[in-house]
Amino acid sequence: MSSVEIRNLRKSFGPTEVLHGVSFTIPDGAFVALVGPSGCGKSTILRLLAGLEEVSDGELLIDDRVINDVEAKNRDIAMVFQNYALYPHMTVAENMGFSLRLMKRSKADITAAVKNVAEVLGIGELLDRLPKQLSGGQRQRVAMGRAIVRQPKVFLFDEPLSNLDAKLRVQMRAELKALHSRLQTTTIYVTHDQIEAMTMADIVVVMRDGFIEQIGRPLDLYDNPKNSFVAGFIGSPAMNFLPVTTEAGSATFSFGDGQSLSLAKFKHLQGEFLIGIRPEHFQQQKTRNGLSVTIESIEQTGAETLLQCQSGDQKVVIVLHDRFAASPGEEYRFGFDLADLHLFEAESGKAISS
Amino acid sequence: MTVSSNTRSRRKNLLLDIMLFVICVLLLMPLLLLIANGFKTPQEILVWPPTILPKDPTLENFHRVFSETPLFRWIFNSLSFALLSMIAIVITSTLAGYVVAKFQFWTINVIFTLFLATAIIPFEVYMIPLYFQVKALGALNSIGGLLIGYLVMSFGIFLIRQNVIAAVPDELIEAARIDGAGEFWIFWHIVVPLLKGPIAALSVLAFFQAWTTFAWPIVVLTRKTAFTIEVGLANFQSAYTVDLALLSAASAAVMVPSVLVFVLLRRSFVEGIAASGMKE
Repeated sequence: MSSVEIRNLRKSFGPTEVLHGVSFTIPDGAFVALVGPSGCGKSTILRLLAGLEEVSDGELLIDDRVINDVEAKNRDIAMVFQNYALYPHMTVAENMGFSLRLMKRSKADITAAVKNVAEVLGIGELLDRLPKQLSGGQRQRVAMGRAIVRQPKVFLFDEPLSNLDAKLRVQMRAELKALHSRLQTTTIYVTHDQIEAMTMADIVVVMRDGFIEQIGRPLDLYDNPKNSFVAGFIGSPAMNFLPVTTEAGSATFSFGDGQSLSLAKFKHLQGEFLIGIRPEHFQQQKTRNGLSVTIESIEQTGAETLLQCQSGDQKVVIVLHDRFAASPGEEYRFGFDLADLHLFEAESGKAISS
Repeated sequence: MTVSSNTRSRRKNLLLDIMLFVICVLLLMPLLLLIANGFKTPQEILVWPPTILPKDPTLENFHRVFSETPLFRWIFNSLSFALLSMIAIVITSTLAGYVVAKFQFWTINVIFTLFLATAIIPFEVYMIPLYFQVKALGALNSIGGLLIGYLVMSFGIFLIRQNVIAAVPDELIEAARIDGAGEFWIFWHIVVPLLKGPIAALSVLAFFQAWTTFAWPIVVLTRKTAFTIEVGLANFQSAYTVDLALLSAASAAVMVPSVLVFVLLRRSFVEGIAASGMKE
């Protein structure tokens, strides 16, 4: 178990800087997810931590020791790759015991350690097989086994579930989380899938374009996003953003299509803003506040109903947890609680708290 | 309907078989004639039309070849030259091919371009300057002198590079680095095992390149006992006569090792050439 600290980390490839001074601390034993769209620099952080790339500026620390110039093999880190990176010519047992063999551990030791971990992961009977004889899920488990068997200070996961089918992904998500609570090893998990980040991590780091947008616990990010990017990225389907304008002192926020909303606590504001409301916060019941929309399509999944709607020239997605009988083209007014609304500056996207 | 289409496809297959058989016979004919000639008397060799099966088979030619010329010595020379050249080319090609494929610096790209550029210069162009260097080194009439022109093969480097790019993902190497492996360890335990097919193909190519080469050995080798087979066989052709029966017997005898090697390595050879880029 170890803490990891990243201080003002910068990385450039040639003239292009892809990380612009990133800092955060990961407490001992925490499960941290780095999440963001592709190209945001999350995988680069992982590769820098693993020692596969050189740091351009800033410091990486494990257990308060700077590891910038420590070779990959001496960092005591294990990494699970997106495509598993199993050695194709070695059996499962050889793959899992590879690092121990390099540490010059005795054969009996290696066999015992591999067997032990294989039992934990439920791959005990696959030890003599070659990677090509395994299914995707089994390969994933072997890749994890190879990491676990070393008992490293830190686990790095680089989008480990993205090559699995949807059902298996959900299952592996739960297994990974269970595994982490059992081993309590500091884990850094890179994903572009915010659901994975939300469901597994203790702390989520949301990144964009080489900057950290927000760090926090999953529900904090969901409830109090710092800006419209985080608000839009966390949650599925994504939050609806509706442009509004207001005059100072009026407290009336007007949508483009003539509808308006009265927000007394924001009456000091003036100018253009975005109102953010999550699809799942709309209600069928009539409330004092609401939004009239034209329904464009209805998707019933049984558990919930997903409505694609239009309000003025804005698309609005609404998720209802009840059945809903309406047909496309109908106009309907959905309610919401003011407490569920988010307000952002139109230009910067910064969240405005009352 | 089905019956007629079945018959038609069977007839098509039969036609194809006949065609392939004819091509096969045409390809094999010179070889068969050569072997047959080895067993013929000098008179029968000159008979027209040539006989395929000798009327009066004799082992005299083989007997004379082995008693009058150091044929075994030549075979040994050729074999050691071809084997050593093969080993050298496999080692230089896998090391260089791996490095140019996986260590991308501009300097390495320049070096790779230079490797490739050597392929467009015919060996004959620099053969004579190379001869003077070998002479200066005192390596004429030796395997060492022969090998100097056959240690590196630019096509081999290219072949391995392509196969490394296709068959060895970066993640494998990175995973091994994180797992604690050193660079040479990675090369030997991860990269080389994944290149078995291409290395076998390259071995066959390199072996036969040296085995069949003629110009370089005839320049470097002047002593009869140092000859390779190719040079030795050419020696049967004197300025005035060609002893066809003797030449045929010697050629037939030296064909045995190359045919054996090819038959033994045929599968890996075909796989190695076909495998490039088709890994799962």
